[in-house]
Order: sequence, then C-alpha cells, then structure tokens
Amino acid sequence: MEKTLRRTNLLKSLFDVEEGYSLGQAIVEADRCLLCHEAPCNAACPAETEPGTFIRKLCLKNLKGAIRTIKENNILGGICGIVCPTDKLCEEACLATEIDKPINIGKLQRFLVEYGWQIGFNPLIKKPAKNIKVAVVGSGPAGLTCAAYLAEEGYDVTVFESNKKPGGILRYGVPPFRLGEDFVDREIKDIIALGVKIKCNSPIKGKGAIEILLKEGFEAVFVGTGLSSPYKLNIPGAHLKNVITSTELLKDVRAENQEKISELVKNKNVAIIGGGSVAMDVANTCKVFKAKKVYCIALESMQELPADKDDLQMAIDNYVIIKPQCRVKEIIGKDDTVIGVKGNETEWKVPGLLIPSNAEDVPGTEFSLEAGAVIIAIGSGPDSQLKEQLPNVKFTERGLIQINKDTLATAVNGIYAGGDIVRGPVLVVDSVADGKKGAKSIIKFLQGGK
Amino acid sequence: MRDLSIEFCGVKFPTPFLLSASVVSNTAEMIARGFEKGFGGVSYKTLCVQSYDDMKIINPSPRTHAYNYGSKKLVGLQNVESITDRSLKDNINDIKWLKKNYPKHIVIGSIMGFSKDEWRDLALTCEDASVDMLELNLSCPHMAIEGSGAKVGQVPELVKEVTHVARNAVKLPILVKLTPNVTDMTEVALYAKEGGADGITAINTVAGLSGIGLDDFVPFPNVFGKGAISGFSGPVVKPIGLRFIAELAMKKELGLPLSGVGGIETWIDAVEYLLAGASTVQMTTSVIRYGHRVVEDMCEGLSDFMDEKGFKQVKDIVGKALPNIHETSEFDLSRQGAVQFDLDRCIGCGNCYRACQDAGAQCITWDSEKRRPTVDETKCYTCMACSFVCPIDNPPLITFKEIKGKKPYIPEPSKL
Repeated sequence: MEKTLRRTNLLKSLFDVEEGYSLGQAIVEADRCLLCHEAPCNAACPAETEPGTFIRKLCLKNLKGAIRTIKENNILGGICGIVCPTDKLCEEACLATEIDKPINIGKLQRFLVEYGWQIGFNPLIKKPAKNIKVAVVGSGPAGLTCAAYLAEEGYDVTVFESNKKPGGILRYGVPPFRLGEDFVDREIKDIIALGVKIKCNSPIKGKGAIEILLKEGFEAVFVGTGLSSPYKLNIPGAHLKNVITSTELLKDVRAENQEKISELVKNKNVAIIGGGSVAMDVANTCKVFKAKKVYCIALESMQELPADKDDLQMAIDNYVIIKPQCRVKEIIGKDDTVIGVKGNETEWKVPGLLIPSNAEDVPGTEFSLEAGAVIIAIGSGPDSQLKEQLPNVKFTERGLIQINKDTLATAVNGIYAGGDIVRGPVLVVDSVADGKKGAKSIIKFLQGGK
Repeated sequence: MRDLSIEFCGVKFPTPFLLSASVVSNTAEMIARGFEKGFGGVSYKTLCVQSYDDMKIINPSPRTHAYNYGSKKLVGLQNVESITDRSLKDNINDIKWLKKNYPKHIVIGSIMGFSKDEWRDLALTCEDASVDMLELNLSCPHMAIEGSGAKVGQVPELVKEVTHVARNAVKLPILVKLTPNVTDMTEVALYAKEGGADGITAINTVAGLSGIGLDDFVPFPNVFGKGAISGFSGPVVKPIGLRFIAELAMKKELGLPLSGVGGIETWIDAVEYLLAGASTVQMTTSVIRYGHRVVEDMCEGLSDFMDEKGFKQVKDIVGKALPNIHETSEFDLSRQGAVQFDLDRCIGCGNCYRACQDAGAQCITWDSEKRRPTVDETKCYTCMACSFVCPIDNPPLITFKEIKGKKPYIPEPSKL
C-alpha cells in the first residue's frame, strides 16, 4: 500500500520517486475505463497521445498495441505520464469522474511505456535512411520530439545541447523525486535508438551561429532552446547572498551538489517566491534538505495557485507553508546575507486578472519573516543571446521567436521553432506537440511542399 | 431472520443451502465450519471403495484453473480433481462425527462405484454411518477410471441400473446427480426415476476448456505439459444450470424434487434456482471465491426477500417462475417496444451509440458537440445492446418500454 499512498506521504529522500503501476494494478485501473465513443480524453491531450485508444487496447489485452499507440503518438509518453498535470488535461475530460473518479491515465501511460522497456518491446521502426541532415538546437521536450519523428522518417538528425547531458527542462528543471534521472535517460535511449545523434556540451554560440547551420550541410533547423534565463525580482535586497533562482537550485540538485544546497537551506527558514509547480518542487526539495520553515509566497489565492494539484498536495504533505495572496516587497539582509523578507497581503484590483500589476496591498497586513534563503520561482525568459544567434529571425516583444502558428516556420526559410521559446512557459506535453508539428512541417519543407 | 427450513425428499433441511460434493466437502472439520455459518447440509465429497491396487485415486497437480474476466476473479473454474482420495474409513468416521455433532444438519452421502457391488456396498456403508440421504454421482466429466462418472450418466440404461442397485440396497432417499453434458437431461432423469430415484441433483460441471497457454500451447490446468477437457463451474455456468433445473421441473412425468447446482453466488442466484423449481441449492465455486461466509449473505438475503414478497416458507417460492417459461413460439409478436433513455442522468460516454451503430438497428444518432444520444423509436428493434453497454446502472438509464401500435422494425435495403 505504501507505494500508492506515497504522494500523500512525507518525502524520505531526494530520490523517493512514486512507483508506477504493476501489470495487475494497471489492468484493474483500465477496467474502470468507460471506453467512451469519441473519447474526450483523446481530445484533451495536446500531443494527441490518444489515451482512449491505448486504454482500450490494454483492456483488450493488446498490450504491445497499447505501447505502440503511445510511443508512436508521443515519443516522450513515459515522461509525460509522470510530469503531465493530467488533472488539467486528459483526466479532467475523463467521464469516469461522473461515476467515481477519473481513470489514472498518467499512471497507465507511464506503466505501458515502462512495461515495453521491461519486456524489451520497442514499437518504433525507422524508415530507410534519406541522407538528409537536419539540426535541432536544444534537447528539451520539443527538440527531442522533433528529432525523433524526423529520424523515424529516415532523416539524419543531430541535436546540439549546451548542457552536459540531454533532456533540458526534463533533466535540469524537475527534481528527482518527481522524475528520476534513470527514467529520463531510458526514454532518451529510445530516441537515440532511432539514430538521433545528440551532441552535448555543444552550445551553438556566436553571431548568426544557428542560421549558419543551414550552410554547414543541414537542410533544415528546429530551434527548441526553451527559456533558460530565470526572471529576477526587482525589489530591494534581491542582490543579497543566498537569494537564488529556482533554476539554479534545481540544476544543483541534478548535478548532485548536495553540500551546496544543504549549506543554503539546512536548518534555515526558506522563503520561496512563486506559486507554480516549480515553486512547489523547490519547496519540497528544501524540505528534503532539512530546511526549517519553508514558505511559498504567491500573489494568487489558494484556488488560483498555478501549481498542479498533486504538486501542491505534495508540498502541503511535506509541511510547506503556503502564503497565498501575499507579496514580498523587500529582502532584508545583514552583512550582505539574507536574514528575512518583508511583505504585504494583497488583493486583486480586478478579480481573476492574475498579473502582478493587478495586485494591491491590503492595509494593515504587513508581515515579516525570518529567512536564511530566498528562492525566486517566478519563471524564466529567453536567453538574451538567442537574437544574436538568429539575426534574421523575428522575435516578439517578450523576446520569443515569432512563428507561423500552423507550421512553426520562422522568418528564415528552413528554420522552425517550437516549445517554450515560441510560446512562453508551456507544459512538457505542449512542447511535445510542437516537436511533432515542427517535424511534420520540416518533412513537408524538405520534400519541396509548402 | 425467517425460518429458512425446507423439506426435501422427506428430509428437513435447516436452510436450503448445501455444500456440494467437491473440494469444499472434503473433511468433517471444514464442513462443520460451513454449518456454523449457515449451510443447512452437505453433499459429502464423493466416496468410493478404493481397492488400493489398480483403482487408487491420485489427484493431478495442479487440480484447478481460474477463469477470470477483466479484473473480476474466478467467474469460472475448471478442475481435474477426482472423487475423494481419502480412505473410506476416514471418510465414514468424519461423517459419523458430523451426524453426532450436528444432528439437525443434513449429510448426504455422495457415492461412486465402479461395479454394481461397489454401488451396493457404498450405499450400505453410508446407511450404517447414518447419513440422511444418498446422492449417486453419475456425472463427473473427468473420471480417470473407465466406466464411471459422466460416462455412466450419459447412458440412460446404466443410470437406471445403478439407481436400481442402490434402491434395492437401502431405504434412504436417493438423489441422482446428473451431467449437463447430454442433449436431453430430462430423458436421463426419467430413467433415474424408473430406477427408484427420489430426487435429482443438477448440474454437475460442464465439460470445458478454460484456456490454453500461449507459450507452450498446453491447456489449463497445465498438469506437467498436459491439459484436458474437464469439469467447468462457477458464475458463468449459472444460466446452464438454471435451464436444466427448469427443464426438469417442467417435465410432468418426472415430478421429482430437485437440488440445483451451478454458479450460485448470491441470494439472488439461489432465489432464481428456487423459482425455477429447485428445493435446495448446492455450491462450490462461490465458497472457493468467498469462503463459508458467502452463505451468511444468502440466508439474510433470502429472508429479506421472503419478507418483502410475503413468502412464509421457502417451499412457497419453489417453482414460482415455471408458469412463465414458454416456447418462444408462444410470444405475443403483435406487441413491440423501444428503448427509453433517462437523459438527465446521461454522462455522454457514447457507448450506446457505438453499440447501436455496430451491433444494433442504427436507430441512435449522436451529437458530438453535446455528447448526447437521440433515439428514433420507430427504428429501434429493442436488441437492448445500448442498455448493456451503458455504464449508468442501479437504476438503469436505458430501459424498455412498450410502444402501443408499433410495427416491428425491419432494416431498410442497404444503400451500397
């Protein structure tokens, strides 16, 4: 029973990953599925992973077929099964909710992918090599997906990754207790098996560097660099020692710089600014590293918090204190180091408009907290150097790449882009959808269509 | 709790629920625990003489295989188990102990002989051990010994002959347990009656093959690389058992009391057997699945049913459905109906539409936007498939209703 209740239990360690279903558990869960006509869950998956189809296949004992459906539709199906906020996607659409509770689609999807690995069944078949080179910049979910679908069609795909290991946000933006590194490696192995070459420690640096790829033998380029520059807070004290961003902390977690994290948070109160899933991940990480009081301070009310329900619940179960409708206005320091935060409770001027400029202080609700570390978890923006690497590509005001929404084509012929770098922060599954769409467009482009 | 007792072949049973002659009636100790829970009697695991030379009973390993459906366990059970492998002496001691300690409970001696002498000897031995009744096992479909079990039960003359032997040996009431693996059980039953039977037990297990291993192509249960067609029981055979009981009950020339067996798991199953003409019911697979406690719910359920319907005694229920069982040729075809949807409770799964399209009259249309079905009553031919796949039960969302003056719907010529 322990494993199924894990999510409501205390995290025992950084690597305390929720276990997946066994075959028996998966069959019992799938048996509850209503097998809807025109399954609403299918329509609710941005990547068209088709849960309604793979669950039906599982019910009819067509296990290999079920695995085939997932992997053909979503090359990162296993990872999506773990990290997708399913309660806002397929499971929100699930009609079994009307009878009891939604089918645990995420866990079924994860199970089938893992089961395929366990029995050594790989449904992906590579078409004959075409000897046409395509470059993918960034090995996050969008880049990896695009690379996989191109490779399946026989294209010679090289992925350029600036980090030490592939995966982007999947590896460096999610803590191990949510998504094990082994799992990421295993799913990427499926992509490498299709012939995708992933070059790590290979940033595409310099003026026009990405565009130049088109002159270096690559006939098309997909840009999926994500959002790698964390937003910072422009408030007094933001420069102090022990004020860091969630991105830095999570990167240190993956790099297993455990001493560094311990030094930052152990036996200290930690104030986290932000109310999304990343803020919850960071809060839970701090708890694992034996922080004392951990606060998540967010402008949203409890009901409005952007965090996935499960992630929020996990934080609550780990004694994280959520401070909704609050704003930190100043970080207090002593000798250049954080000793606390000061802030106010807030209200929305216009209800439901969830942007910082719409929040106003409520008089008489000033608060101050003692804190030895402050972690900013309010999202990330595009890397400032990207414009330089893509001088002829058009960017939006926010610094995102402008694309044709239907094709993901940029202003430069042959260069396509998808994922966070064109949409702003989106879900992994949205990036997978972009990767698929980008691959389709690139194939069309390379075949001379328009 | 109501008095659930019933008289069957002149013997008074405290409740109509019996453990059948099988794994669940192997020893006195386990039977006693069943009695404590509410079983009114037992058909003790089939006795034989066991001459210890060429006819020693040795059971295969493994003996049984479960037939599951989805995540529902044991909707059927295939077994290759024989009659008792214990010595006659041990079994008789157990029976004596049971009769001494549970004098009001009924012990039926199930027996199987491999010769006329053995049938006679077993009958006399049982009488000496003060069993209340005999049950002649002429129906086990997988006896390893030639000239026994269902092989006898399939030959009416032999049934009569064996029954006659037992009849001449003892005064006890005699039940003959029959096999469903025949075309017409009522004919065999009539022969049993001629031989002197006082009642019929039906059904023994249905000959079946519950599955085949996909790696070695060996059927289940896989007895070291060999499978066999053998006895199949459990909830999936209930409709077959119920059919035979009804046929026997409706056979006017027979007129013998019946003990129903086959897939009885809930009080509803038991009541249905009573309604179809059985006076007692026996079970094994449900005891394997749920344990002796299964009978607590049968007693309580039957008692509440009697209160609700105003039945004073169990015997008043027996055969109550028989006047309603007809030949299909007697149906009133001038009356037709259509399905009726309680759409307020519809959750929009669309299974009704899919069933109607692919397996029905195509009388349901589907609004993909609203996710709701609409029925064209004139085209519905009441296959009822939509109601079977609708997940909203208790009470059902899709029901049958009569449409006055409706003509039977026949599909139009295909537009090919």
